Amino acid sequence: MHILIVEDELPLMESMVSYLEMEGFRCEQATSYHAGLCSLDKHAYICMLIDLNLPDGEGLDLVRLARQNKTSSGIIIVSARNALEERVKGLSLGADDYLVKPFHLSELVARIQSVARRTRTQGEEILKFGVIRVMPEERTCYVNERQVDLTRKEHDLLLYMMANRNRVITKESIADYLWGEYGGGYGSYDFVYTHLKNLKRKLQDAGSPDYVQNIYGVGYKFTLE
Amino acid sequence: MKLLTKTTLYIATLSLFLFFFMGIIFFQVLKNMSISELNRELSRTKEVVVDVFPHFLGGQLKGLPGIDSISIKLAWPGMEASDQFGDTLMLEPMTNQYMTFRYIQFRSEHGNVAYAIKLFKSTTPADKLVEQVTLMMTMMVILFLAGIFSLNRFIFANLWKDFFGALEKLKQFDTVKEPLKLGDPDVEEFIELNRVLERMSLRLCSDYRELREYTDHTTHELQTPLAVIKTKTELLMQSTNLGSKEMQLLQSINTSTNHLSRLNSTLALITRIENQQFTQKLKINLKELLDKHLGMLHELVELRNIVVERRCEGKKQFITMDNGLADILVTNLLNNAIVHNVEGGKIIVEVADGALCISNNGPALSFNEQDLFKRFVRDTKRTGNFGLGLSLVKKICDYYGFRISYTYEMDLHLFRIIFPK
Repeated sequence: MHILIVEDELPLMESMVSYLEMEGFRCEQATSYHAGLCSLDKHAYICMLIDLNLPDGEGLDLVRLARQNKTSSGIIIVSARNALEERVKGLSLGADDYLVKPFHLSELVARIQSVARRTRTQGEEILKFGVIRVMPEERTCYVNERQVDLTRKEHDLLLYMMANRNRVITKESIADYLWGEYGGGYGSYDFVYTHLKNLKRKLQDAGSPDYVQNIYGVGYKFTLE
Repeated sequence: MKLLTKTTLYIATLSLFLFFFMGIIFFQVLKNMSISELNRELSRTKEVVVDVFPHFLGGQLKGLPGIDSISIKLAWPGMEASDQFGDTLMLEPMTNQYMTFRYIQFRSEHGNVAYAIKLFKSTTPADKLVEQVTLMMTMMVILFLAGIFSLNRFIFANLWKDFFGALEKLKQFDTVKEPLKLGDPDVEEFIELNRVLERMSLRLCSDYRELREYTDHTTHELQTPLAVIKTKTELLMQSTNLGSKEMQLLQSINTSTNHLSRLNSTLALITRIENQQFTQKLKINLKELLDKHLGMLHELVELRNIVVERRCEGKKQFITMDNGLADILVTNLLNNAIVHNVEGGKIIVEVADGALCISNNGPALSFNEQDLFKRFVRDTKRTGNFGLGLSLVKKICDYYGFRISYTYEMDLHLFRIIFPK
């Protein structure tokens, strides 16, 4: 469960490492282009997080080099640059995802897991949480043995909650994850509430206990307790 | 009005004015000169006549050189003793027409009898002369004006050529491209003008480049500390020993940071549009674009039980613009129509010939309609947005020369964008 993080901003690096380690990942840290270059082959990473603006080089070159080495790791570009051309360029060089700074740590985790799922070669993965089982590839969800019919967004929301189990998830981060620029931040928190309410109802109707803890004014926590 | 037209007009007005008055004065002077010449001739003849007029009485003389006619009458009482000049009309026996004659009348005595003598001289030759001279003067004036006009045209075509050349280049000047290069004309003032323009364009280009770099850097530099604040707050939230009060404090920080970063990136986008950094031009099918975004917003729409009515069947409407900006344009309009809608409301999306109309139900605006597209104007009751969406839409429309208008009728907010042909 190794992750390579190439990021020159130390406080940001520390946050990412702390959060990811809480999730059980092991982080290889590189604070410059050259450190990143040296660490590319150190482990079989499940994912690489690469910043584009590095003091001694271009993150894009790292992406290109990693792909030339035929690495099977997922690559997520983490950048403050939000121009469409940058995204297109990054993705065409072989990155799997593009995350714009500032981001939510919970979103980062969800994206890492999603990228890791996509790059995993063997078989269909089954995610389990209490009595809930989710097959992300098929977009199916079961409570005990009963299939639950979820909409696309509800499915994404469930995966997001499961990726950030036992963590406090803010409404903003859910809105941003589900709609990105479309949620636009404004007004969409009501939608988050409605979506979550629908999801909870569907799960409970199928016989699942209520795993969602409401943290007043802040957001939610998905937990077995 | 063009420079040439204006100069010509000035010259024409001044010359016509001048020549008109000069002509009147010239004509008068000429006329007076001819009259005094006639008077002098009549006076000279008079000297002769005073000596010889008794011969007329006797009928020995019929005429005298220098005059056309003579009349001798008996002087009447109270008649002026001095010479009298005047004009009169008389029948010309040769042509049988009335003609003007100049006359002199004086008194002369012969053998104790006083006579009143009048000598006449035709003014026709003198008038003819005045007429001829005036005609020639008019011809000269016309020729002179024509000359001035063609000279003016010539000057414009040659002397001002460099000026117009510089103007043409100035028109095509774009801060995105190179600074101006205007060359060296042979008129000193134009050389100076060109140097000033070149310096200004150089300055403009460098200012523009610096502004672009500044915005680029600022937004970029801001995003990283924002990311640090955001992630630290999120990490702090995961601590197990926090009370709900502390959690809400953290949430406030989190919310504000989110706002700040959105604000930052939107302002950066607006600046990029203002700086004309979107030069890509693609032909975009408006219907497909709308379908794509309506699909993505599908669930937001359903959550509020909003009905979307599409009226774009069979109509093909293409727009030419950057596809990223097209996405932003449509997203912001649709988002606006959803967020400011009412539960169970309606959104009508219509693609008509050369226009896109998006209308939605919703309460009337709480602020002035004219301020709708201004930055940071928003419904004060609704928190969480900062009133940049529509100003972004306006910016994009302005950038491509689309005309956007807003009306509110019968509970429907209607945004109409008219695309240029």
